[in-house]
Amino acid sequence: MLSGLAGRPHYVQAQEAPIKFGKLDAKEAATLLASPTPDSAAAEVLCDFGQSTIQGANGRFELRFERTARLLIRRAAGYEHATVHVLLYHDPKEGGREEIQQLKGLTYNLTGTTLSKEPLRTEAVFSRKIDERLDEYAFTLPNVREGSILEFTYLVRSPFLFNLQDWQFQQDIPVRWSEYRTVIPSFYRYKELSRTYWPFTINETSAKFYTTTYREPTRNSYGTTTEASDKTYNINTQALTRRWAVKNLPAFRPEPFMTTRRDYLSRVDFELERIQFDPQHAPQFIAGSWAEIEKELLEDEKFGQYLKATTSLSTNTAALRNLPNLTERAHAVRQLVLQQVAYTNTPSYLARPGSTPRRIVDQRQGNAAEVNLLLIAALRTAGLDAQPLLLSTRQHGQVQTELPVVSQFNYVVAHVALPDNKELLLDATDASLPPALLPESCLNAQGRLLGPAGRWVNLMDTAPHLLYTHAQLTATPQGELRGSIRQEYAGYAASEHRRPLSELRQQWQQAHPDWQISKAEVSSPDVARPVALELTAALPGAEAPAATLYLRPLQQLLMTANPFRHAERLYPVDFATVQRIEYATDLTLPAGYVVAELPANMQLVLPNGGGRFLFSITQPTPQTLALVGRIHLLKTRYSAEEYHAIRELYAKAVTKFAEPIVLQRQ
Amino acid sequence: MRISLPILLAGSSWLLASEAYAAYGPAPKYAVADLPATLRENAHAVIRRQEETLLVKSVGRTVETTHRAVTILDEVGARWASELVYYSSLNTISYFRGAVYDATGRQLRQLRTQDIHDISLSDGFSLATDARGRVADLSQPTYPYTVEFEYEVISDNPLFYSTWRPQPVEQLAVEQASFKVTMPAGMALRYQEQHLPTGTAQTKRTQGSQEIYEWQVHDLAAREEEADAPPVAELTPAVFTAPTEFEVQGHAGRLSNWADLSRWTYDLNAGRDELPPAIKAGIAALVQGETDERAKIRKVYHFLQANTRYISVQLGLGGWQTFPASSVAANGYGDCKALTNYCKALLGAAGIKAHAALVKAGSDEQDILTSFPSSQFNHVVLCVPLAQSTKPDTVWLECTSQTNPFGYMGGFTGNRHALLLLPEGGKLIPTPRYGAAENRRERLANVFLDVNGDATATLRTIRTGLEYDGVSGLPGLELAEQKKRISNRLALPNFTLNKVAFKHSGPEATIPSLTESLALTMPALAPPSGKRVFITPNLLSRMAPPQATVGERQTDLWLDHAFTQQDTVMLHVPASLHPEQLPAPVQLTTQFGTYSSQLLALPDGSIRYVRRLVMPRTRFTRTDYPAYLEFRRKISAADKAQIVLLKTDA
Repeated sequence: MLSGLAGRPHYVQAQEAPIKFGKLDAKEAATLLASPTPDSAAAEVLCDFGQSTIQGANGRFELRFERTARLLIRRAAGYEHATVHVLLYHDPKEGGREEIQQLKGLTYNLTGTTLSKEPLRTEAVFSRKIDERLDEYAFTLPNVREGSILEFTYLVRSPFLFNLQDWQFQQDIPVRWSEYRTVIPSFYRYKELSRTYWPFTINETSAKFYTTTYREPTRNSYGTTTEASDKTYNINTQALTRRWAVKNLPAFRPEPFMTTRRDYLSRVDFELERIQFDPQHAPQFIAGSWAEIEKELLEDEKFGQYLKATTSLSTNTAALRNLPNLTERAHAVRQLVLQQVAYTNTPSYLARPGSTPRRIVDQRQGNAAEVNLLLIAALRTAGLDAQPLLLSTRQHGQVQTELPVVSQFNYVVAHVALPDNKELLLDATDASLPPALLPESCLNAQGRLLGPAGRWVNLMDTAPHLLYTHAQLTATPQGELRGSIRQEYAGYAASEHRRPLSELRQQWQQAHPDWQISKAEVSSPDVARPVALELTAALPGAEAPAATLYLRPLQQLLMTANPFRHAERLYPVDFATVQRIEYATDLTLPAGYVVAELPANMQLVLPNGGGRFLFSITQPTPQTLALVGRIHLLKTRYSAEEYHAIRELYAKAVTKFAEPIVLQRQ
Repeated sequence: MRISLPILLAGSSWLLASEAYAAYGPAPKYAVADLPATLRENAHAVIRRQEETLLVKSVGRTVETTHRAVTILDEVGARWASELVYYSSLNTISYFRGAVYDATGRQLRQLRTQDIHDISLSDGFSLATDARGRVADLSQPTYPYTVEFEYEVISDNPLFYSTWRPQPVEQLAVEQASFKVTMPAGMALRYQEQHLPTGTAQTKRTQGSQEIYEWQVHDLAAREEEADAPPVAELTPAVFTAPTEFEVQGHAGRLSNWADLSRWTYDLNAGRDELPPAIKAGIAALVQGETDERAKIRKVYHFLQANTRYISVQLGLGGWQTFPASSVAANGYGDCKALTNYCKALLGAAGIKAHAALVKAGSDEQDILTSFPSSQFNHVVLCVPLAQSTKPDTVWLECTSQTNPFGYMGGFTGNRHALLLLPEGGKLIPTPRYGAAENRRERLANVFLDVNGDATATLRTIRTGLEYDGVSGLPGLELAEQKKRISNRLALPNFTLNKVAFKHSGPEATIPSLTESLALTMPALAPPSGKRVFITPNLLSRMAPPQATVGERQTDLWLDHAFTQQDTVMLHVPASLHPEQLPAPVQLTTQFGTYSSQLLALPDGSIRYVRRLVMPRTRFTRTDYPAYLEFRRKISAADKAQIVLLKTDA
């Protein structure tokens, strides 16, 4: 494929760009301004156009990413969009950095029929070091007013061929047209991950003739290079061209009960799959199957080294080999790691560069990979069949299982295979959780098990989020309710409530402001058991006794408002766990009063086994009532349509709980 | 047993000292067993030992050191396990060290250079900032443990001296803390003390040509957070210090009084108000023929709002010195100094004299310490005295917002002191005050209940003054976002929001207001229960009582947010329903505020509910707290009162 300098460069007819920088005239500006911005937004993107290509350079190839955009600012609230941030990567060790070039910007303001045009000034461009590998360039356009049309364009040149720029079609403001093109010569190949809730207007693939120039520096006898002696090659091959466009995208607005915005935004991401210059020879680079990914990870000192490491931790766990019950043994190993290494709240499937297992044990803190890879090593030392399981946290987004792309993951936990096809998933980052539960952030569809039995493992078959309240209350002739309330937090609710008593009490009080607490105690014996808050409390009644009493013990204890407040829903609902709320109240009537009216029992179910609501009231003795309320949400994902059914179920429940028990003095 | 102090008093660093012991293994330090029980009570962390020093090298340079050892008792206290040290182009960190100890005081490890991370401290809105930090995290998997940090910052910005605040937050106890200031010959320290426990006198001694000041506190028990209390920073010991003379990047100044600081800041920014001729002529044309002074100022202010926007650039001295007015004229943007300077120049072109004024802005910020002249400000606004007015009158302008109502300071800069910048040296003057009369929320609800208990309602709410602040941004948002935000704060059990509309007060209003009109459906608001229907007429303004204090109240009662709420609910019920029972009117008049609610059945069958609550800005001693709690409980009870309606056709 490489050939010496030969033949004329071959120009390929390019598809016309949807926007050209600096070509707006007064007539077009007037048309754009006259057309109303969707959804009364403060600003909108009229066109956002990006293209990525690979070109030969001096001794290497490089990625060239060009972006040109045009925005319209309607109102002052949209001024922030006149400032643009660009992140640039560099490699502090090996050298090489991404560079921004050919940055230009224009602000157009239409006054009558005159269109003024003011360029971006260099003093309005700032750069800032974010960390060892990232710099941020920020620039802001001049004289932005309500009704300004802004344009900017820039080129990013990157020596990092693994970093083919991703593209996000949807933004926080409406987008009229967003388009991305890639032209990739046949010797490079990338995997694509695209996702969108809005259909692609264009999604095309084609091939075209591709040519580029590659210069190979030659070293003279002094070891330096001179341009004159460099060899220059013209490369001619086929290129794969891809083109995506989406039209009229609404502004993205996060809704409650979502994972991460990345899961909902329309976007396309890439991962380098293969570099192969000569089909007759083996590829220079290949990232393909899960097996290959695993092989690389095991060779990576930020992963594999940890699995093999001998540290004081693994030495200590060897003693646990004597525990006959494998599950108990695994839990004991986890407990040991929990006590030896603190989690730094940094999710990762790789250890930090430069850190070593020994240092992690010595420092007593590590990121998720460092903690859990050490856990796997320790489980193995203890004689268990442990393998890493890669996953993506809910904040990191959904995994597309058909694509073996490692950057989809950001977390690793331990998988232990037990006899009889049983298995355990273990994580040592959160001491507030029982060993059987992964952190809630890990509950995201499926994880990828490495090792000989490599496969996808369901992460969602786990404990619910369970709130259980049991109250024993006595009513007075004034309508006061007093007694004991036991509030239990179990399953995933337990770990979030494993907090000091003062905090739990305050939290309960805020959720139930009308109750006056006279005594509070908490019992949270160990992480395997629920947290129980025991309260002695009273709900004040009237000043004087009344002949008729109206009591609503469940409304005051349970929920007073529907948590699904919004009538509109665009995107699916995604919970980490199933949810169960259960209430039981034993109510003793004041002496001399009898039941006049009771709310009717009720049972409702959601379609597709999605959940149910139950309310019942019985009178075991003339002087007592037993009330039961239950709300179960039994799925973790509900479509936008199903959201309305959940909202309705809660509305019915809230109303039911508000119905009074009517008592009459005899 | 106390840990011995001599190592530290000798002035050598603790790390060097511990190395001396290395041959025998470092001696245990900060054993948790040595901690008195009184210091563990209510505490998530205990400062075992903290030494802060301020060494003034010259008018142009200071050196601050901090050495802090904190025992972390539980997860909540773990925020003390990491440390962030700020630096910028004017401040450099000369060293940053740390170590961590187990519960017995045995050193687990020392902080290494590679464990310290360098980060940019973007404030999220600055286009450019040189603020950076170094962070280190020594958190451990099990509690308790002790972390120790030691660092030194050299500052070429001696406009600021240290503020010593050994107990800055609640639920933190202090075993021992000290503060030492060393002044060179011929330079005087100014300082002010706050709440120093009796007996913790400052000592002053002379060492060579230097003067040394020292303060110490010990055994401060952790404080509990209390409802309606003054901020903790106001309640705990503190020493404020300030220079008498300083120099920042060649700009020398004196600081003995407010006039000094005013003059220095004025001089630093003087001569930067030259406007391009075209802008000058444009402004002259804009105000031509306008005779009313206030109207002229308003026109200029609206010109500013329409043609500029706020961009924050915080680099070096740029934090204090404005960009020239010509730069704002060319770019249409600037930071608070640049936009204020520009507006001042625009007003000048209109023949109106205005003065920049420094403030400490922020809706949660306390007023500056007026008795201690020092650099306590973070923002600048414009103060325009009305020359033609018969009685003294002033227009205040916030120049960084395109939507801020004319002459309105609001919660960001109102109710506090500002320092006027004048060539001859200005003084502190109060910014506009917003009290219960200005901060109003008035709501009229019309609720239409049907026989099934479903309801529709229209709500019209006017908010003025500081009540306006919280909603002023809503009309600028797109409709879907408006609906979302409003739905999130409506305290109704079940509802769907159908219509939203807003109306701003006119440009002439002295106190801005926003009228919000909503239409809702409320399914099952009051479903019939047998023959009866129950409804709480106070639909949206129920106020829960504050949390009861556990144990005796420690702090003053501080009601800093003044407001007036007036709710009128017109309840339109089906003809078949008649009130069986209307709650009696409630009238509460106390020193804390006044409350009234009353219900009236009108001849047309509807029911009118009127609730009014006025809470002025007040402060009481802690012994008044029970009476206040009683007042709030009575309000809460009255707010929940229910109407019982009886079906008459049944």
